Amino acid sequence: MTAAARNTRLDPGSAFMRNLRLDHAGLSRVLREIDTQVGQLAREPERARTVLIEALDYLLYYHHSYHHPREDRMFARIRARDSGLDETLQGLTHEHETGERQTGELAAELAALSHRQLRGQRGRRLADQINGYVRHTRIHMRNEEAVFYRRAERVLEPDDWRDIVAADDGSRDPMTDLALMRDRYPHLAEHLGLPVKQLGLVERTQPVSEELRLQMLALTDLYGGLIHEALELARGNVDQLLGVRSPSALVRAVGEISSNNLRFAGQCLTRPPRWAINGGAALVVACLKPYLKTSQSGDA
Amino acid sequence: MRERIQAMERFFPDVPADVTIDLEPGLSHCDAEWLTPQAGPTERMVLHFPGGAFMTRFVRAERLLLARLCRAANARGRLVFYRLAPEHPYPAGLEDCLEAYRQLLSGGTPPEHILISGMSAGGCLALSALMAARDEGLPMPAGAVLMSPAADMSDESEEGGSRIVNADRDAVLSLERGDDIRRLYLDGKTELASHPYVSPVLGDYSDLPPLFFQVGSTEVLLDDSRRCAERARSAGVRAEVEVWDRMPHGWQALSFAPESGRAIGRLADFVRECCP
Repeated sequence: MTAAARNTRLDPGSAFMRNLRLDHAGLSRVLREIDTQVGQLAREPERARTVLIEALDYLLYYHHSYHHPREDRMFARIRARDSGLDETLQGLTHEHETGERQTGELAAELAALSHRQLRGQRGRRLADQINGYVRHTRIHMRNEEAVFYRRAERVLEPDDWRDIVAADDGSRDPMTDLALMRDRYPHLAEHLGLPVKQLGLVERTQPVSEELRLQMLALTDLYGGLIHEALELARGNVDQLLGVRSPSALVRAVGEISSNNLRFAGQCLTRPPRWAINGGAALVVACLKPYLKTSQSGDA
Repeated sequence: MRERIQAMERFFPDVPADVTIDLEPGLSHCDAEWLTPQAGPTERMVLHFPGGAFMTRFVRAERLLLARLCRAANARGRLVFYRLAPEHPYPAGLEDCLEAYRQLLSGGTPPEHILISGMSAGGCLALSALMAARDEGLPMPAGAVLMSPAADMSDESEEGGSRIVNADRDAVLSLERGDDIRRLYLDGKTELASHPYVSPVLGDYSDLPPLFFQVGSTEVLLDDSRRCAERARSAGVRAEVEVWDRMPHGWQALSFAPESGRAIGRLADFVRECCP
Protein backbone atom coordinates (compact mmCIF):
# COMPACT_ATOMS: atom_id res chain seq x y z
CA MET A 1 0.00 0.00 0.00
CA THR A 2 1.39 3.44 -0.86
CA ALA A 3 1.79 6.17 1.73
CA ALA A 4 -0.85 8.24 -0.07
CA ALA A 5 -3.33 5.37 -0.01
CA ARG A 6 -2.61 4.74 3.65
CA ASN A 7 -3.07 8.41 4.46
CA THR A 8 -6.54 8.50 2.93
CA ARG A 9 -7.72 6.28 5.78
CA LEU A 10 -6.18 8.43 8.51
CA ASP A 11 -7.70 11.49 10.12
CA PRO A 12 -6.07 14.78 9.03
CA GLY A 13 -3.84 15.01 12.09
CA SER A 14 -2.54 11.46 11.81
CA ALA A 15 -1.99 11.84 8.07
CA PHE A 16 -0.09 15.08 8.67
CA MET A 17 2.11 13.46 11.31
CA ARG A 18 2.71 10.45 9.11
CA ASN A 19 3.93 12.71 6.32
CA LEU A 20 6.30 14.49 8.70
CA ARG A 21 7.74 11.11 9.70
CA LEU A 22 8.05 10.05 6.06
CA ASP A 23 9.98 13.28 5.46
CA HIS A 24 12.40 12.23 8.20
CA ALA A 25 12.79 8.83 6.52
CA GLY A 26 13.76 10.53 3.26
CA LEU A 27 16.03 12.95 5.10
CA SER A 28 17.77 10.04 6.87
CA ARG A 29 18.56 8.40 3.55
CA VAL A 30 20.03 11.61 2.18
CA LEU A 31 22.04 12.25 5.36
CA ARG A 32 23.54 8.79 4.96
CA GLU A 33 24.54 9.66 1.42
CA ILE A 34 26.04 12.98 2.55
CA ASP A 35 28.06 11.07 5.15
CA THR A 36 29.28 8.69 2.41
CA GLN A 37 30.27 11.47 0.04
CA VAL A 38 32.07 13.58 2.66
CA GLY A 39 34.33 10.58 3.19
CA GLN A 40 35.15 10.63 -0.54
CA LEU A 41 35.70 14.36 -0.83
CA ALA A 42 39.49 14.27 -0.63
CA ARG A 43 39.80 11.20 -2.84
CA GLU A 44 37.31 12.00 -5.58
CA PRO A 45 36.54 15.70 -5.15
CA GLU A 46 34.57 16.32 -8.33
CA ARG A 47 32.24 13.36 -8.04
CA ALA A 48 31.66 13.81 -4.32
CA ARG A 49 31.14 17.56 -4.69
CA THR A 50 28.50 17.10 -7.40
CA VAL A 51 26.50 14.67 -5.25
CA LEU A 52 26.91 16.79 -2.12
CA ILE A 53 25.74 19.97 -3.83
CA GLU A 54 22.65 18.16 -5.12
CA ALA A 55 21.99 16.71 -1.66
CA LEU A 56 22.26 20.14 -0.01
CA ASP A 57 20.09 21.62 -2.76
CA TYR A 58 17.46 18.94 -2.03
CA LEU A 59 17.56 19.86 1.66
CA LEU A 60 17.18 23.55 0.83
CA TYR A 61 14.42 22.91 -1.68
CA TYR A 62 12.24 20.53 0.31
CA HIS A 63 13.21 20.33 3.95
CA HIS A 64 13.93 23.99 4.53
CA SER A 65 11.19 25.29 2.25
CA TYR A 66 8.31 22.94 3.07
CA HIS A 67 9.04 20.47 5.88
CA HIS A 68 10.34 22.95 8.46
CA PRO A 69 7.60 25.57 7.88
CA ARG A 70 5.07 22.78 8.46
CA GLU A 71 6.77 21.85 11.71
CA ASP A 72 6.97 25.50 12.72
CA ARG A 73 3.23 25.90 12.24
CA MET A 74 2.66 22.82 14.35
CA PHE A 75 5.09 24.02 17.05
CA ALA A 76 3.25 27.35 17.22
CA ARG A 77 0.03 25.43 17.94
CA ILE A 78 1.70 23.33 20.61
CA ARG A 79 3.00 26.50 22.28
CA ALA A 80 -0.50 27.91 22.29
CA ARG A 81 -1.74 24.79 24.09
CA ASP A 82 1.24 24.11 26.32
CA SER A 83 3.28 27.16 27.29
CA GLY A 84 5.69 25.03 29.32
CA LEU A 85 7.49 24.16 26.11
CA ASP A 86 7.86 27.74 24.92
CA GLU A 87 11.60 27.96 25.21
CA THR A 88 12.48 24.61 23.68
CA LEU A 89 10.06 25.01 20.78
CA GLN A 90 11.46 28.45 20.11
CA GLY A 91 14.89 26.81 20.11
CA LEU A 92 13.82 24.30 17.49
CA THR A 93 12.36 27.01 15.27
CA HIS A 94 15.63 28.91 15.64
CA GLU A 95 17.53 25.77 14.62
CA HIS A 96 15.43 25.59 11.46
CA GLU A 97 16.50 29.12 10.56
CA THR A 98 20.19 28.62 11.30
CA GLY A 99 20.10 25.22 9.56
CA GLU A 100 18.82 26.79 6.37
CA ARG A 101 21.53 29.44 6.43
CA GLN A 102 24.20 26.85 7.16
CA THR A 103 23.03 24.57 4.33
CA GLY A 104 23.30 27.43 1.85
CA GLU A 105 26.75 28.39 3.12
CA LEU A 106 28.05 24.84 2.90
CA ALA A 107 26.75 24.46 -0.66
CA ALA A 108 28.34 27.77 -1.67
CA GLU A 109 31.70 26.88 -0.17
CA LEU A 110 31.65 23.45 -1.79
CA ALA A 111 31.04 25.03 -5.18
CA ALA A 112 33.77 27.63 -4.69
CA LEU A 113 36.70 25.38 -3.73
CA SER A 114 39.07 23.95 -6.34
CA HIS A 115 39.97 20.25 -6.40
CA ARG A 116 43.27 21.05 -4.81
CA GLN A 117 41.61 22.99 -2.02
CA LEU A 118 39.11 20.20 -1.48
CA ARG A 119 42.00 17.76 -1.03
CA GLY A 120 43.84 20.07 1.34
CA GLN A 121 43.27 21.79 4.65
CA ARG A 122 40.26 23.81 3.54
CA GLY A 123 38.63 20.65 2.22
CA ARG A 124 39.24 18.96 5.56
CA ARG A 125 37.75 21.87 7.42
CA LEU A 126 34.73 21.86 5.15
CA ALA A 127 34.35 18.08 5.57
CA ASP A 128 34.39 18.58 9.35
CA GLN A 129 31.70 21.24 9.04
CA ILE A 130 29.51 19.00 6.91
CA ASN A 131 30.02 16.10 9.34
CA GLY A 132 28.97 18.42 12.17
CA TYR A 133 25.94 19.48 10.14
CA VAL A 134 24.91 15.83 9.63
CA ARG A 135 25.41 15.05 13.31
CA HIS A 136 23.43 18.07 14.38
CA THR A 137 20.61 17.34 11.92
CA ARG A 138 20.30 13.79 13.25
CA ILE A 139 20.07 15.00 16.85
CA HIS A 140 17.57 17.70 15.87
CA MET A 141 15.42 15.09 14.10
CA ARG A 142 15.64 12.74 17.09
CA ASN A 143 14.50 15.46 19.49
CA GLU A 144 11.58 16.39 17.28
CA GLU A 145 10.42 12.78 16.96
CA ALA A 146 10.92 11.76 20.55
CA VAL A 147 9.43 14.77 22.27
CA PHE A 148 7.54 17.19 20.07
CA TYR A 149 5.83 14.90 17.58
CA ARG A 150 4.44 12.89 20.47
CA ARG A 151 3.47 16.03 22.32
CA ALA A 152 1.63 17.30 19.22
CA GLU A 153 -0.33 14.08 18.99
CA ARG A 154 -1.29 14.41 22.65
CA VAL A 155 -2.16 18.07 23.07
CA LEU A 156 -3.46 19.30 19.72
CA GLU A 157 -7.23 19.37 19.18
CA PRO A 158 -9.14 18.67 15.94
CA ASP A 159 -9.43 22.44 15.38
CA ASP A 160 -5.66 22.79 15.53
CA TRP A 161 -5.17 20.03 13.01
CA ARG A 162 -7.79 21.49 10.70
CA ASP A 163 -5.96 24.83 10.66
CA ILE A 164 -2.54 23.22 10.28
CA VAL A 165 -3.71 21.12 7.34
CA ALA A 166 -5.58 24.05 5.77
CA ALA A 167 -2.40 26.14 5.79
CA ASP A 168 -0.50 23.38 4.03
CA ASP A 169 0.15 23.61 0.30
CA GLY A 170 0.40 19.83 -0.05
CA SER A 171 3.94 19.75 -1.48
CA ARG A 172 5.38 16.25 -1.31
CA ASP A 173 8.92 15.13 -0.70
CA PRO A 174 10.60 14.37 -4.05
CA MET A 175 12.20 11.37 -2.31
CA THR A 176 8.83 9.63 -2.60
CA ASP A 177 9.06 9.86 -6.39
CA LEU A 178 12.27 8.36 -7.78
CA ALA A 179 11.54 9.58 -11.32
CA LEU A 180 11.32 13.13 -10.00
CA MET A 181 14.53 12.63 -8.01
CA ARG A 182 16.33 11.38 -11.12
CA ASP A 183 15.07 14.34 -13.05
CA ARG A 184 16.01 16.97 -10.48
CA TYR A 185 19.00 15.42 -8.72
CA PRO A 186 20.44 12.87 -11.19
CA HIS A 187 23.77 12.34 -9.43
CA LEU A 188 22.27 12.09 -5.97
CA ALA A 189 19.58 9.69 -7.23
CA GLU A 190 22.21 7.52 -8.90
CA HIS A 191 24.21 7.25 -5.69
CA LEU A 192 21.16 6.64 -3.53
CA GLY A 193 20.42 3.62 -5.69
CA LEU A 194 23.89 2.07 -5.55
CA PRO A 195 23.69 -1.40 -4.02
CA VAL A 196 27.26 -1.48 -2.70
CA LYS A 197 29.04 1.38 -0.97
CA GLN A 198 32.67 1.59 0.02
CA LEU A 199 33.34 3.43 3.26
CA GLY A 200 36.80 4.45 4.33
CA LEU A 201 38.57 5.20 7.52
CA VAL A 202 39.30 8.82 8.26
CA GLU A 203 40.65 10.23 5.02
CA ARG A 204 44.41 10.51 4.79
CA THR A 205 44.77 14.01 3.48
CA GLN A 206 48.15 14.46 5.15
CA PRO A 207 49.96 11.73 3.29
CA VAL A 208 53.52 12.21 4.52
CA SER A 209 52.79 12.45 8.23
CA GLU A 210 50.19 9.69 7.94
CA GLU A 211 52.59 7.44 6.06
CA LEU A 212 55.23 8.15 8.69
CA ARG A 213 52.76 7.17 11.39
CA LEU A 214 51.88 3.97 9.51
CA GLN A 215 55.54 3.08 9.11
CA MET A 216 56.15 3.64 12.80
CA LEU A 217 53.23 1.34 13.53
CA ALA A 218 54.72 -1.22 11.15
CA LEU A 219 58.03 -0.93 13.01
CA THR A 220 56.26 -1.48 16.33
CA ASP A 221 54.53 -4.49 14.81
CA LEU A 222 57.83 -5.79 13.54
CA TYR A 223 59.58 -5.66 16.90
CA GLY A 224 56.47 -6.81 18.72
CA GLY A 225 56.35 -9.79 16.38
CA LEU A 226 60.02 -10.58 16.93
CA ILE A 227 59.64 -10.42 20.71
CA HIS A 228 56.60 -12.70 20.50
CA GLU A 229 58.54 -15.16 18.33
CA ALA A 230 61.51 -15.03 20.74
CA LEU A 231 59.23 -15.94 23.65
CA GLU A 232 57.63 -18.74 21.65
CA LEU A 233 61.08 -19.98 20.68
CA ALA A 234 62.28 -19.96 24.29
CA ARG A 235 59.16 -21.83 25.38
CA GLY A 236 59.66 -24.37 22.57
CA ASN A 237 63.31 -24.82 23.58
CA VAL A 238 62.36 -25.46 27.21
CA ASP A 239 59.67 -27.94 26.12
CA GLN A 240 62.21 -29.73 23.93
CA LEU A 241 64.67 -30.00 26.79
CA LEU A 242 62.02 -31.11 29.27
CA GLY A 243 61.00 -33.85 26.84
CA VAL A 244 64.51 -35.36 26.81
CA ARG A 245 64.52 -38.91 28.18
CA SER A 246 67.73 -40.33 26.77
CA PRO A 247 71.21 -39.22 25.57
CA SER A 248 70.20 -39.65 21.92
CA ALA A 249 67.06 -37.53 22.48
CA LEU A 250 69.28 -34.87 24.04
CA VAL A 251 71.47 -34.77 20.93
CA ARG A 252 68.38 -34.51 18.70
CA ALA A 253 66.90 -31.76 20.87
CA VAL A 254 70.13 -29.73 20.87
CA GLY A 255 70.30 -30.03 17.09
CA GLU A 256 66.71 -28.82 16.62
CA ILE A 257 67.13 -26.02 19.14
CA SER A 258 70.28 -24.83 17.38
CA SER A 259 68.67 -24.77 13.97
CA ASN A 260 65.50 -23.02 15.29
CA ASN A 261 67.66 -20.40 17.01
CA LEU A 262 69.67 -19.89 13.87
CA ARG A 263 66.53 -19.38 11.79
CA PHE A 264 65.24 -16.83 14.32
CA ALA A 265 68.59 -14.99 14.30
CA GLY A 266 68.30 -14.83 10.50
CA GLN A 267 64.84 -13.23 10.79
CA CYS A 268 66.21 -10.67 13.28
CA LEU A 269 68.89 -9.72 10.78
CA THR A 270 66.76 -9.56 7.63
CA ARG A 271 63.39 -8.15 8.73
CA PRO A 272 64.46 -4.67 9.96
CA PRO A 273 66.41 -3.83 6.75
CA ARG A 274 63.40 -5.08 4.74
CA TRP A 275 61.18 -2.71 6.74
CA ALA A 276 63.64 0.15 6.19
CA ILE A 277 63.63 -0.36 2.41
CA ASN A 278 59.83 -0.73 2.14
CA GLY A 279 59.14 2.09 4.58
CA GLY A 280 61.58 4.42 2.88
CA ALA A 281 60.00 3.72 -0.51
CA ALA A 282 56.49 4.33 0.89
CA LEU A 283 57.59 7.67 2.34
CA VAL A 284 59.13 8.77 -0.94
CA VAL A 285 55.88 7.90 -2.75
CA ALA A 286 53.88 9.77 -0.11
CA CYS A 287 56.07 12.85 -0.59
CA LEU A 288 55.55 12.73 -4.35
CA LYS A 289 51.80 12.10 -4.20
CA PRO A 290 50.59 15.72 -3.97
CA TYR A 291 52.59 16.64 -7.08
CA LEU A 292 51.31 13.59 -8.97
CA LYS A 293 47.71 14.44 -8.01
CA THR A 294 48.15 18.07 -9.10
CA SER A 295 49.49 17.14 -12.51
CA GLN A 296 46.79 14.45 -13.00
CA SER A 297 43.86 16.65 -12.09
CA GLY A 298 45.12 19.66 -14.01
CA ASP A 299 43.74 21.84 -11.27
CA ALA A 300 46.76 23.69 -10.02
CA MET B 1 36.10 -20.14 25.44
CA ARG B 2 33.12 -18.70 27.32
CA GLU B 3 35.32 -17.97 30.36
CA ARG B 4 37.86 -16.15 28.22
CA ILE B 5 35.11 -14.06 26.65
CA GLN B 6 33.67 -13.25 30.06
CA ALA B 7 37.09 -12.02 31.14
CA MET B 8 37.33 -9.81 28.03
CA GLU B 9 33.88 -8.40 28.70
CA ARG B 10 35.27 -6.33 31.56
CA PHE B 11 36.66 -3.93 28.99
CA PHE B 12 33.22 -2.99 27.68
CA PRO B 13 31.44 -0.20 29.55
CA ASP B 14 27.98 -0.59 31.05
CA VAL B 15 24.86 0.48 29.28
CA PRO B 16 24.35 4.27 29.75
CA ALA B 17 22.25 5.20 32.76
CA ASP B 18 19.54 6.72 30.59
CA VAL B 19 18.67 3.30 29.16
CA THR B 20 16.50 1.10 31.37
CA ILE B 21 16.53 -2.69 31.15
CA ASP B 22 13.52 -4.89 31.89
CA LEU B 23 13.32 -8.67 31.84
CA GLU B 24 9.57 -9.24 31.73
CA PRO B 25 7.80 -10.56 29.79
CA GLY B 26 10.41 -13.18 28.99
CA LEU B 27 10.71 -16.03 26.52
CA SER B 28 10.06 -19.75 27.09
CA HIS B 29 13.57 -21.14 26.83
CA CYS B 30 16.03 -18.29 27.11
CA ASP B 31 16.70 -14.91 28.70
CA ALA B 32 15.85 -11.74 26.88
CA GLU B 33 15.93 -8.05 27.74
CA TRP B 34 13.87 -5.00 26.87
CA LEU B 35 15.96 -1.86 26.45
CA THR B 36 14.25 1.52 26.66
CA PRO B 37 16.11 4.81 26.25
CA GLN B 38 14.65 7.42 28.57
CA ALA B 39 14.79 10.16 25.96
CA GLY B 40 11.36 9.30 24.60
CA PRO B 41 11.49 6.29 22.33
CA THR B 42 9.02 6.15 19.44
CA GLU B 43 7.05 3.07 18.43
CA ARG B 44 10.08 1.57 16.66
CA MET B 45 11.37 -1.72 18.00
CA VAL B 46 14.78 -3.21 17.21
CA LEU B 47 14.84 -6.97 17.76
CA HIS B 48 18.50 -7.87 18.10
CA PHE B 49 20.24 -11.24 17.97
CA PRO B 50 23.82 -11.17 19.32
CA GLY B 51 26.82 -12.87 17.74
CA GLY B 52 29.32 -15.35 19.17
CA ALA B 53 29.70 -18.27 16.76
CA PHE B 54 26.41 -19.80 18.00
CA MET B 55 28.27 -20.94 21.12
CA THR B 56 29.04 -17.90 23.20
CA ARG B 57 28.30 -14.20 23.41
CA PHE B 58 29.61 -10.82 24.53
CA VAL B 59 26.65 -9.84 26.69
CA ARG B 60 27.85 -6.39 27.75
CA ALA B 61 29.17 -5.49 24.32
CA GLU B 62 25.95 -6.47 22.54
CA ARG B 63 23.80 -4.75 25.16
CA LEU B 64 25.78 -1.55 24.74
CA LEU B 65 25.62 -1.82 20.95
CA LEU B 66 21.85 -2.20 21.02
CA ALA B 67 21.45 0.62 23.55
CA ARG B 68 23.46 2.95 21.32
CA LEU B 69 21.48 1.95 18.25
CA CYS B 70 18.19 2.45 20.08
CA ARG B 71 19.22 5.87 21.32
CA ALA B 72 20.28 6.93 17.83
CA ALA B 73 17.11 5.60 16.22
CA ASN B 74 14.62 6.58 18.96
CA ALA B 75 13.68 2.94 19.29
CA ARG B 76 13.10 0.38 22.00
CA GLY B 77 15.29 -2.70 21.87
CA ARG B 78 14.71 -6.41 22.44
CA LEU B 79 17.89 -8.37 23.07
CA VAL B 80 17.46 -12.12 22.72
CA PHE B 81 19.95 -14.43 24.43
CA TYR B 82 18.96 -17.40 22.30
CA ARG B 83 20.06 -20.86 23.43
CA LEU B 84 23.63 -21.75 22.53
CA ALA B 85 25.32 -24.81 21.09
CA PRO B 86 26.67 -27.32 21.88
CA GLU B 87 24.17 -27.77 24.75
CA HIS B 88 21.34 -26.60 22.49
CA PRO B 89 22.20 -27.24 18.86
CA TYR B 90 20.28 -26.05 15.80
CA PRO B 91 17.35 -25.31 15.60
CA ALA B 92 17.04 -24.26 19.28
CA GLY B 93 18.55 -20.78 18.75
CA LEU B 94 16.44 -20.10 15.68
CA GLU B 95 13.28 -21.18 17.53
CA ASP B 96 14.07 -18.68 20.30
CA CYS B 97 14.56 -15.89 17.78
CA LEU B 98 11.27 -16.72 16.09
CA GLU B 99 9.49 -16.87 19.42
CA ALA B 100 10.79 -13.39 20.23
CA TYR B 101 9.41 -12.09 16.92
CA ARG B 102 6.04 -13.78 17.46
CA GLN B 103 5.95 -12.34 20.98
CA LEU B 104 6.34 -8.82 19.63
CA LEU B 105 3.55 -9.36 17.11
CA SER B 106 1.19 -10.94 19.64
CA GLY B 107 2.02 -8.16 22.10
CA GLY B 108 0.58 -5.66 19.65
CA THR B 109 3.73 -4.26 18.01
CA PRO B 110 2.83 -3.70 14.37
CA PRO B 111 5.30 -5.49 12.05
CA GLU B 112 6.01 -2.23 10.23
CA HIS B 113 7.47 -0.89 13.47
CA ILE B 114 9.83 -3.83 13.97
CA LEU B 115 13.35 -3.95 12.64
CA ILE B 116 15.41 -7.11 13.01
CA SER B 117 19.10 -6.79 13.70
CA GLY B 118 21.91 -9.29 14.06
CA MET B 119 25.65 -9.42 14.48
CA SER B 120 27.77 -12.26 13.03
CA ALA B 121 26.07 -15.53 14.02
CA GLY B 122 23.14 -13.36 15.13
CA GLY B 123 23.08 -11.93 11.60
CA CYS B 124 22.74 -15.48 10.29
CA LEU B 125 19.86 -16.08 12.70
CA ALA B 126 18.26 -12.77 11.69
CA LEU B 127 18.19 -13.84 8.04
CA SER B 128 17.05 -17.35 8.94
CA ALA B 129 14.30 -15.98 11.19
CA LEU B 130 13.07 -13.73 8.37
CA MET B 131 12.89 -16.68 5.98
CA ALA B 132 11.26 -18.94 8.58
CA ALA B 133 8.74 -16.23 9.52
CA ARG B 134 7.83 -15.72 5.88
CA ASP B 135 7.49 -19.48 5.36
CA GLU B 136 5.18 -19.61 8.39
CA GLY B 137 3.05 -16.88 6.90
CA LEU B 138 3.92 -14.28 9.54
CA PRO B 139 3.91 -10.64 8.44
CA MET B 140 7.35 -9.27 7.59
CA PRO B 141 9.05 -6.63 9.72
CA ALA B 142 10.00 -3.25 8.25
CA GLY B 143 13.60 -4.19 7.55
CA ALA B 144 16.74 -5.86 8.83
CA VAL B 145 20.27 -4.72 9.60
CA LEU B 146 22.95 -7.37 9.33
CA MET B 147 26.39 -6.74 10.77
CA SER B 148 28.87 -9.13 9.13
CA PRO B 149 26.46 -12.07 9.14
CA ALA B 150 28.02 -15.54 9.14
CA ALA B 151 25.57 -16.68 6.51
CA ASP B 152 27.31 -19.64 4.93
CA MET B 153 27.83 -22.69 7.11
CA SER B 154 28.29 -24.85 4.03
CA ASP B 155 31.69 -23.12 3.71
CA GLU B 156 32.08 -23.55 -0.01
CA SER B 157 35.23 -21.42 -0.15
CA GLU B 158 35.81 -20.27 -3.68
CA GLU B 159 39.14 -19.47 -5.23
CA GLY B 160 39.63 -15.73 -4.76
CA GLY B 161 36.74 -15.54 -2.27
CA SER B 162 37.05 -13.57 0.96
CA ARG B 163 37.33 -16.71 3.08
CA ILE B 164 40.62 -17.45 1.34
CA VAL B 165 41.88 -13.99 0.35
CA ASN B 166 41.18 -12.47 3.77
CA ALA B 167 42.27 -15.49 5.80
CA ASP B 168 45.51 -13.74 6.79
CA ARG B 169 44.01 -10.25 7.00
CA ASP B 170 41.08 -10.87 9.32
CA ALA B 171 42.15 -9.74 12.76
CA VAL B 172 39.26 -11.41 14.60
CA LEU B 173 37.93 -14.51 12.89
CA SER B 174 39.72 -17.62 11.79
CA LEU B 175 37.95 -20.23 9.74
CA GLU B 176 40.27 -22.92 11.06
CA ARG B 177 37.60 -23.40 13.71
CA GLY B 178 34.85 -23.47 11.08
CA ASP B 179 34.53 -27.25 11.06
CA ASP B 180 34.28 -27.40 14.86
CA ILE B 181 31.65 -24.67 14.97
CA ARG B 182 29.62 -26.33 12.23
CA ARG B 183 29.82 -29.73 13.93
CA LEU B 184 28.82 -28.38 17.34
CA TYR B 185 26.09 -26.06 16.07
CA LEU B 186 24.55 -28.82 13.96
CA ASP B 187 25.15 -31.54 16.56
CA GLY B 188 27.19 -33.51 14.06
CA LYS B 189 24.47 -33.41 11.38
CA THR B 190 26.67 -31.53 8.94
CA GLU B 191 24.39 -32.42 6.03
CA LEU B 192 22.12 -29.66 7.42
CA ALA B 193 24.78 -27.07 6.55
CA SER B 194 23.18 -26.46 3.16
CA HIS B 195 19.71 -25.89 4.63
CA PRO B 196 18.68 -22.27 3.99
CA TYR B 197 17.88 -21.68 7.66
CA VAL B 198 21.44 -22.74 8.52
CA SER B 199 23.14 -21.11 5.53
CA PRO B 200 20.82 -18.27 4.51
CA VAL B 201 23.22 -17.38 1.73
CA LEU B 202 21.60 -20.32 -0.08
CA GLY B 203 18.03 -19.31 0.78
CA ASP B 204 15.09 -17.76 -1.03
CA TYR B 205 14.87 -14.02 -0.44
CA SER B 206 11.57 -13.32 -2.14
CA ASP B 207 9.17 -11.14 -0.12
CA LEU B 208 11.77 -10.29 2.51
CA PRO B 209 11.89 -6.66 3.71
CA PRO B 210 14.76 -4.25 2.86
CA LEU B 211 18.14 -5.50 4.06
CA PHE B 212 21.14 -3.44 5.11
CA PHE B 213 24.55 -5.11 5.47
CA GLN B 214 27.69 -3.68 7.06
CA VAL B 215 30.94 -5.61 6.73
CA GLY B 216 34.70 -4.92 6.88
CA SER B 217 36.79 -5.19 3.72
CA THR B 218 39.30 -7.52 5.37
CA GLU B 219 36.81 -9.89 6.96
CA VAL B 220 36.66 -13.53 5.96
CA LEU B 221 32.88 -13.09 6.04
CA LEU B 222 32.90 -10.28 3.46
CA ASP B 223 31.48 -12.50 0.71
CA ASP B 224 28.65 -13.75 2.92
CA SER B 225 27.17 -10.25 2.96
CA ARG B 226 27.80 -9.67 -0.72
CA ARG B 227 26.31 -12.98 -1.77
CA CYS B 228 23.22 -12.60 0.44
CA ALA B 229 22.63 -9.10 -0.90
CA GLU B 230 23.05 -10.21 -4.53
CA ARG B 231 20.62 -13.04 -4.00
CA ALA B 232 18.16 -10.72 -2.31
CA ARG B 233 18.37 -8.18 -5.10
CA SER B 234 17.82 -10.83 -7.72
CA ALA B 235 14.65 -11.77 -5.80
CA GLY B 236 13.49 -8.15 -6.01
CA VAL B 237 14.40 -7.21 -2.45
CA ARG B 238 16.15 -3.92 -1.71
CA ALA B 239 19.53 -4.88 -0.28
CA GLU B 240 22.42 -2.54 0.38
CA VAL B 241 25.96 -3.50 1.39
CA GLU B 242 28.41 -1.15 3.05
CA VAL B 243 31.99 -2.37 2.81
CA TRP B 244 34.06 -0.59 5.46
CA ASP B 245 37.74 -0.22 4.72
CA ARG B 246 39.82 -2.54 6.96
CA MET B 247 37.35 -2.55 9.84
CA PRO B 248 37.56 -5.67 12.02
CA HIS B 249 34.66 -8.04 12.61
CA GLY B 250 32.22 -6.53 15.09
CA TRP B 251 33.69 -3.01 15.04
CA GLN B 252 30.21 -1.55 15.55
CA ALA B 253 30.40 -2.78 19.15
CA LEU B 254 33.75 -1.09 19.85
CA SER B 255 32.28 2.08 21.29
CA PHE B 256 35.66 3.81 21.62
CA ALA B 257 36.31 3.72 17.85
CA PRO B 258 35.01 6.70 15.83
CA GLU B 259 34.03 4.31 13.04
CA SER B 260 31.72 2.54 15.48
CA GLY B 261 29.78 5.75 16.11
CA ARG B 262 29.64 6.47 12.42
CA ALA B 263 28.40 2.94 11.67
CA ILE B 264 25.70 3.19 14.34
CA GLY B 265 24.60 6.57 12.99
CA ARG B 266 24.18 5.00 9.56
CA LEU B 267 22.34 1.99 10.94
CA ALA B 268 19.98 4.35 12.74
CA ASP B 269 19.40 6.27 9.51
CA PHE B 270 18.38 3.00 7.88
CA VAL B 271 16.08 2.14 10.81
CA ARG B 272 14.39 5.53 10.42
CA GLU B 273 14.08 5.03 6.66
CA CYS B 274 12.33 1.69 7.11
CA CYS B 275 10.19 2.63 10.13
CA PRO B 276 9.16 6.26 9.61
